[in-house]
Amino acid sequence: MKAVGARVPRYDGIEHVTGRTAYVDDVRVPGTLWVKAFRSPVHHAGMTNLDVSKAAATKGVHAVVTWKDVPLLEYGHLSALGIPADETLLAKDEVRYLGQPIALVAAEDEETAVEAVSQITADFEERPVLLDVRKAFDADAPKIHPWGNWYPHFEGGMDRRQIRKGSIDDAFAKADLIVSGVYRPAAIEHVPVETQVCLAVPEANGRLTIYSCTQALYFSLGVVAAHLQVPLNKLKIVGGTVGGGFGGKVDTATETMCSLLALKARRPVKWRWTREEEFLCSSTRAPWHIEIADAVTKDGWILGRKMLTLHDSGAYARFSPYGLTKHSFHHTGAYTIPNLHFDGYVVFTNRVPTTAMRGFGVTSVSFSTETHMTRVANELGIDQVEFRLKNANRIGDTSPNGIAYTDPSTVPVVQAIADAIGQELPAGYRTMTRHPREGDLLPEHLVAQLGDPKEHH
Amino acid sequence: MAVHRGRGVAAIEYPTGMNQNGDPSQAWIKLKPDGRVDVFAGTSDIGNGSKTIQSQIVADTIGVPYDWITYDNSNTDSSPVCTGTFASRATFVAGKAAEKAAAKVREKILEIAGKELEIDPADLEIVDGDVLAKGAPQKKITVPEVAAAATWGHGELITGTGAQLKPYATIVDPETGRVDLPPHSAISYASCAAEVEVDDETGVVRVTHLWQCYDVGKAINPTLVEGQIEGGAVQGLGLGVLEDCYPYYPSVDHRGRQFGSYLTPGMEDMPRIDTIIIENPSADGPYGAKGIGEMANNGQPPAIAAAVFDAIGVWVTELPITPERVLRALERKAAGTDGPQRDGKMVRYDDELSVNSVSDGGIRFQVG
Repeated sequence: MKAVGARVPRYDGIEHVTGRTAYVDDVRVPGTLWVKAFRSPVHHAGMTNLDVSKAAATKGVHAVVTWKDVPLLEYGHLSALGIPADETLLAKDEVRYLGQPIALVAAEDEETAVEAVSQITADFEERPVLLDVRKAFDADAPKIHPWGNWYPHFEGGMDRRQIRKGSIDDAFAKADLIVSGVYRPAAIEHVPVETQVCLAVPEANGRLTIYSCTQALYFSLGVVAAHLQVPLNKLKIVGGTVGGGFGGKVDTATETMCSLLALKARRPVKWRWTREEEFLCSSTRAPWHIEIADAVTKDGWILGRKMLTLHDSGAYARFSPYGLTKHSFHHTGAYTIPNLHFDGYVVFTNRVPTTAMRGFGVTSVSFSTETHMTRVANELGIDQVEFRLKNANRIGDTSPNGIAYTDPSTVPVVQAIADAIGQELPAGYRTMTRHPREGDLLPEHLVAQLGDPKEHH
Repeated sequence: MAVHRGRGVAAIEYPTGMNQNGDPSQAWIKLKPDGRVDVFAGTSDIGNGSKTIQSQIVADTIGVPYDWITYDNSNTDSSPVCTGTFASRATFVAGKAAEKAAAKVREKILEIAGKELEIDPADLEIVDGDVLAKGAPQKKITVPEVAAAATWGHGELITGTGAQLKPYATIVDPETGRVDLPPHSAISYASCAAEVEVDDETGVVRVTHLWQCYDVGKAINPTLVEGQIEGGAVQGLGLGVLEDCYPYYPSVDHRGRQFGSYLTPGMEDMPRIDTIIIENPSADGPYGAKGIGEMANNGQPPAIAAAVFDAIGVWVTELPITPERVLRALERKAAGTDGPQRDGKMVRYDDELSVNSVSDGGIRFQVG
């Protein structure tokens, strides 16, 4: 019997539905200490006189860590790709969002840890807050990072992600209609049933066992090892079974800090975020600001697209430059548009740093460009399904960055959805295929963009 | 006051694998002395079903029953590198590594079976746990017998390793965005139609029906594919009409801090969902599969926004489409202030949201 293609039962399904799957929080190790965080009480401030002495002296407290305890304080999510870090593991002398971790306490029990955190003090000199990405570029905008309010490290030292293809000016000049619109998909929470949780156990042999809910065992291994400046054999990450992630558990939010506390206290430590911490302090999907102007003809061709994207990264870059790049590479959606002019910025604001979430970078582009497609179709008085089929990408067409599509399926999936909702298509659309363009479907404006699908296979 | 019905569609695409690639997955496999199969991989299962999918791939690639497979992704000591479960890569990239490892195990089984049967391994095949001579299936040895022979007779471990890596597309032209290599492992396609009911008195948008079509390349496990598609639909519905960390974005006030003040979809919000799966095999994925885990929540929001327009004739382009936003848009429509600015061939929607209206000159969106 073949397994591939069969509806075999989920490998771990029975354990899940009977509540017998062991998640991180189900692991019990004798002598485990509880962890609580001292977090920034303000959105943006300079910080001085951090004092953890009273917390450290509290009965039942075994360790307190601050930035001073971190061997490598700055290690960025994309450091492995050579992208400079912009965030300290624990705040040093500045805080840029409400809830930013500053110090951590490991104590005999949760109540003692909470009490000790309340004994930690620091002076915060509040700074003006920047929240609206549209104002980040203004001369009088509050300054978030020393180098500015947007990410400056794209290729060639560019401060934005650019796509240029064909001539947008030509497209605007030849268009019968230019339709513009603004799209703002929201920040949302990942809302995993299992909140961020980690248990770090110092072993007798000097190794550290880290029970983790990470979505990426080896990514987290690398991040912890880098901060601790130890080789990979000193750490063992135990995990692989995650109680809901959706992108929110790629960030290594707890593992490094628990490791520092476990090593300092020489005791196992567990940090389990409360639901309120999960909602308020964990990273979210980014809010995006997207402006689109499409140059179109009366008979329903899209000649060109100009687009501006402001990706609200929150206080630090984390994975946002990656997300914006992916966004830019897919900004024509499932269609072929020969003339493109895209500018995108990763903009910093004084909110919780945003991160990956299901559809990272593309969920926003799908919402904005697809809503815009329907608007344009309505403006032209063309059926929204037919407009999509007419402009659908086909084998041999090229993507925004010049890669020839080898097996696009826009045509069949749109035909299938028309069929599902009982929409009769005119003959030309009913028989359309994804095969290379010819005849009426290869108008002059689509000739120059054609590529060779064999070249990119 | 009335409830209005509307319908909208959307078509989407999504890349499989990390953008620009460079994201390895590895697997290794060993056989127990009775032929049962231990798979070690570093792929976290976040509910996406990667333990199941990789086990299915290994079972078929070796040629043994699915329930012979034990899958271990529990720790970084025994499991090799997997970049992680994100970028819709677990089935495609990690699944491909498992397939390659399993192919090596199959070769090793055939090699030892060939010695036992005194037949050229090229003339053997494995079917349901038996090694058979092609065209002469009465000449056979079971995989458990082969594993036992390897362990106790030949002094060998039947094992195999596999790795999948598409090289990192390092060159992105900073001016044009052109790349030297395809930045994706594959691209998946989907479409979505949404039917909504909009109450023009309360402003509530209720999604009543979603039709969804996905090209998944190959459905390794149709039940799990449907689970991804239906689960994604619920998250897309949340994005479309319910969820927002910052209800008055960009303000940070009124953040929901518990389930009662942050609305995720519940069972009462579930629409009817019809799912259509198309299998247009990818060139490089295991058994032709592509990734669809992430795109599963991308199609609903634009289909819902279009359906709301179809129902009540106003566009809400800030998500989620809350009752407050619907009612404000209806008020603008009643006052005659909704709709685009028209100037020659220019049709400008949403001027009030544009950087051109809000920025003090720091950034512009210049058109035409």
